[in-house]
Amino acid sequence: MTHWMKHWKFISLIAIVLLFSCRKNLTVEQENSTVEEGYYNSAPRIQQAVIGGYVDLRRALFANYAWLMYGEARTGDVKVAVAYQQQVANQQLTSTVANLVQLSDWGYFYDVIKDANDVLDIVDNAADGVLSSYQYNLYRGEALALKSMAYFYLARIWGPVSSAETSNFGVHLTREEVVNQAIQYATEAQQLVPWILLNDDGIKSAALTAVRFNKTAVTSLLVQEQLWLGNGQNAYDALTNTFTNISTDSLSGFSLAIGEDRRTEIPLAPLSASILTMPLATFNTIYPDGDARRSSMFNISGNNATLIVKDASMVELLTEREIDLLFAEAAWRSQHLDEAKEWLISAASGATEDYSTLTEETFGDALLLERQRMLVGTGQRMFDLIRFSEVSTHIPAFTEADVAKGAAYWPLSAKSMAGNGWAQNEFWK
Amino acid sequence: MRLIPKSGGKILLFLLVSFGTAMSVLAQDSLRVDSMLLSNRSGLENILQGSVAGLRIKSWSGTTGAQATLNLRGLSLDPTDQSTMPLILINGVPMVASPSHITGINPLTYFPPEQIERIEVIKDIDRLAAYGVQAPNGAINFIMKEGNSGSIHVRANVYAGTNFLQNMDYKRDAFYNFNTTARRDVYGDGGIVHDQTLIVDGAGSYGSYLFGLSNHQDKGIIKSSGFGRQSLFLNAKYNITDRFTAHFYNNMSIANRKGRYAGEYSRDLTLPVVGDEGYYMDKNRNLGLLSSMGLAYVVGSGVTIRSVASLSYEGSSRDMYIPSNLLDGNIYASSAAYKRQLITWNTSANWLHEFADALQMDMTLGGELRNTDDRLTSVNGQRSMENGGSDFVKVVTGYNANQVIALSNHNVEKLLSFYGTWKFKYKKDLDVNLVARADGSSLYDKKWALYPALGIHYDLKNSLNIPVKINAGIGKTGVLNRPEVYRGQLDAYGDYYGGNYLGIGQLYPTFGGAKSIDVTQVDAGITVALGSAINLSVDYFSKTYSNFLYQRYQSNISGIDYKYETGGQLGLSGIEVALDGAWIRSTHFTWSSNLNIAFYRNKVKSLPGDIGNTSLAYLATVSGAPVTSLVAREGSQAKRIGNSEPKVFGGFTNTLRYRNISAAFTINYAWGADVLAESFNSRYDAERINYQFPIKSAETPYYLVDQGTDGRTIYQGIRTIEDGSFVRLSRAAVSYHFNSISKKVEALSDLEIFVRGDNLLTLSRYSGINPEENITGSRRYNLMYTGTPLPTSVALGIKVVF
Repeated sequence: MTHWMKHWKFISLIAIVLLFSCRKNLTVEQENSTVEEGYYNSAPRIQQAVIGGYVDLRRALFANYAWLMYGEARTGDVKVAVAYQQQVANQQLTSTVANLVQLSDWGYFYDVIKDANDVLDIVDNAADGVLSSYQYNLYRGEALALKSMAYFYLARIWGPVSSAETSNFGVHLTREEVVNQAIQYATEAQQLVPWILLNDDGIKSAALTAVRFNKTAVTSLLVQEQLWLGNGQNAYDALTNTFTNISTDSLSGFSLAIGEDRRTEIPLAPLSASILTMPLATFNTIYPDGDARRSSMFNISGNNATLIVKDASMVELLTEREIDLLFAEAAWRSQHLDEAKEWLISAASGATEDYSTLTEETFGDALLLERQRMLVGTGQRMFDLIRFSEVSTHIPAFTEADVAKGAAYWPLSAKSMAGNGWAQNEFWK
Repeated sequence: MRLIPKSGGKILLFLLVSFGTAMSVLAQDSLRVDSMLLSNRSGLENILQGSVAGLRIKSWSGTTGAQATLNLRGLSLDPTDQSTMPLILINGVPMVASPSHITGINPLTYFPPEQIERIEVIKDIDRLAAYGVQAPNGAINFIMKEGNSGSIHVRANVYAGTNFLQNMDYKRDAFYNFNTTARRDVYGDGGIVHDQTLIVDGAGSYGSYLFGLSNHQDKGIIKSSGFGRQSLFLNAKYNITDRFTAHFYNNMSIANRKGRYAGEYSRDLTLPVVGDEGYYMDKNRNLGLLSSMGLAYVVGSGVTIRSVASLSYEGSSRDMYIPSNLLDGNIYASSAAYKRQLITWNTSANWLHEFADALQMDMTLGGELRNTDDRLTSVNGQRSMENGGSDFVKVVTGYNANQVIALSNHNVEKLLSFYGTWKFKYKKDLDVNLVARADGSSLYDKKWALYPALGIHYDLKNSLNIPVKINAGIGKTGVLNRPEVYRGQLDAYGDYYGGNYLGIGQLYPTFGGAKSIDVTQVDAGITVALGSAINLSVDYFSKTYSNFLYQRYQSNISGIDYKYETGGQLGLSGIEVALDGAWIRSTHFTWSSNLNIAFYRNKVKSLPGDIGNTSLAYLATVSGAPVTSLVAREGSQAKRIGNSEPKVFGGFTNTLRYRNISAAFTINYAWGADVLAESFNSRYDAERINYQFPIKSAETPYYLVDQGTDGRTIYQGIRTIEDGSFVRLSRAAVSYHFNSISKKVEALSDLEIFVRGDNLLTLSRYSGINPEENITGSRRYNLMYTGTPLPTSVALGIKVVF
């Protein structure tokens, strides 16, 4: 024993080495949970993180029919077949009904932003050879586009919001700053994503392109953002520089695919056959007799016109048919009225009106009307009214003063204000 | 029952610590099972009820095969979980001792009490620290009998009896309101309990052997239900050489429990219609195995090397079918299996050394490996009978995946430990115990935690001739914080694009700072021998539990719901008093007794900042108050309206013998615990009652806020808050030894008949049947943690020893 004592240093050293070698032995791979470390080691796995962003965007926009509630139901023109829609149409947005409380919570949009930022980290840290340059550009571009879209929705729904970027996390941004940030992401994304995406077999797939961000969709998003800030010339440049010598085969809108949300209940088919209707009187005002879109877009029965859902497996958010309208608006806003009229006439096929006689003053109303007619169901109307400063004209409940106080934006839930340093805007106080 | 005095226990243990013992940790209390008052109910915890100061055995359920809750100086944040359970050791090796959630069968029923030599109850820190994170809440070591010298001995013990409910008032039954007409059909007197145990043993120069078999059947008082258990066991030692010894222990049990729909559980299901339960099926089956193999080699110069490998396994399976007449036209079937295994391997070197005549040292250095591997698989489904079929078709043929839920879960945990114990003995007066243990756990990034302890024991008898012993100790143990969070976790968000793509993302980020809950314990005690007949001991302890793992909710711009943090502090302290008296010791008449009392209090010492944004928010009301407080809302304020833990509890045992007749009884009691009962009727959708409570004059002003299955807020009214104090005649027995026959028949060394009763009388003002029927002290509206009435049982038995 005393012999052992002489070597206490040696024994301690052995003990330390033993303890450190235990570290590996004491790391257990659990079968029922997945840790982040080492998970993103292949392109399909990295793609899962990208898809996570789409699933969260779907949650933000489909839970409680949010995209219709934020974008259309408030105007009262359309009816969504759920009880709380009436409260939305009556502008009772601070109601304690659980659906409306959730709608006034912006958390789901920030989930998208976090997902996107995680994807940007993941693709940047991916080991050499894991991602092809196509995949690297696509995933990065999609992440930026998702982030851009989430910020853009936030700005359109609530106005000023918080930044969730590492560099300025939690900082309150004005509505212009938010959209400028979104423009920056969309501009970069637009350079990265392709016109048509490849499926897992490496074959061009129109079906896949329709439910992921592609160059057409990101350009539409970017142009919408530029127009929101009144940058007509930038919007016009973005459109004309992008859509040069492009065949229509390469164009694609952007829809969110329907699927199962594993964490919360959202309607499995948010745009089901009878979900969106218009009272006949409203319908007749918007689509007068003779308008070809009355029958191509709606089923009329009794006192209601019901939107025809052409593909229930997805919900269109950025449509191909909007491109002409965006061209028209960008041209108009950048002092190219004649070109604007041409784009509008080309877009509004089936309309009874003669748009060739429009003037600088009347063009705006015509464009707003055509956007309402053509984009019904995509959740744009309310944002159009804000952008065209027409909220108080079309929503009788609000005066100009109300709008100036912030009536056009949504109130914030207690959860969104707490911990983030926000107070309710003047109108919803 | 006879409590061996501490000094005697120590010396006895010092001599008896067997080679199979994984660690030679001395016990605070040591109970010889042959002289204890046993129980008709299976489950070793039942024989400990009321026997040891500070050990609280709560008989919460009369369902056969259920485990009473065990608490030995234990405290946790969640009163419903099993984390306060003491470490259970069999011959010093740990076992899977908590009942599985699948069958609820008590693993402590696997061992018939007849095969146990003695029970060591370990509470003091200088003994506990040697177990590190395994034993934050004390330890109970069951030491099995070994063969007695002689070629062969045979012992048989048989008893049979019946269960019944005394003065059963159905309206007092917690389950009454669920089906007022059916209650009488559920309970029935006369359920048979019977038990047979046969043990054969012997010992010689080769070593020793003991083997046996045991059968226990208990029909309880719930009709068409019952519990059964069969065990085979072996305890053998073999002297390979003079210096080299092997020790094998094995106990294998199968246990089964048949349940009944109307009367036991699943209150969330549609109200039971007790028509014909003939086709109702709830079959629970467990296989319990504990095996250990120990080798000991005496190197010489006081050095002995020991190595013990052990395997504790439990497989639980449950098959269930509910016919449509009970489920409003639906049939339901489920099958679940839960397999738990615990493998340990403990190797140590022990060195006994005398520095001088007056100073001795007993040093042990060792390492222990502990692997836990639990796997759960279950499938259940429900369907309506719309497509025809029979009420009695015991098959669920789901025609789409939504009707069947399948689950598989697998948890693996590893613990690697190194420990050292140093026991210094100076003359007969002073013992100094030093313990250091390092535990490395797979649950954390920073694997290692150190648990040191120091204990000093001083006997004043030798130097000052005062029959007083004093002791004091300080040290640390820990509780493993679960789940593993240090590497973060990814989560499946949902399916996309025709279900072809899966979207995933972060559920919560990594938390490298995750660690064990630290338990710092200080204890002190004094034992006074008053003459040769009376022994009084008073022990004080104080434990502080720090660094609980909790979720910190993130602001909703974070894109993530929560992060993990550690913090918070709970305190538990108490005084335990035990008075042992051997009042009369004459040739024909002896009378001894044990009275024990424990005074406990616990407190939430500190909480993390901004507690409202954490998963511990529910503790905000009890800051500075007991964590076991019963909290309810009155108006818009949360308020403490009681405490589910008693202020005082304990037991009182008397053992008497007059010539051939022996009698013993144990009383256990608890005072000062409150019982809260949720109302079955006052349960409202908060929005519908405009967030106002109460709405009826008959309701108390107190309510709880629940979340309904659809996410809606529910106001749950509280019907009563009552005093749950009680005194219970827990066990009593009278036996007669046929000494004259055993003297005549040479081979017969003992013949005894006995009558034994369990749960014979309860005195309480509690309005229900059993003041301990709620595990948490709260009777939930769905009776989730509430037990069935506790039956009385009386049995007649015979014991023969050849």
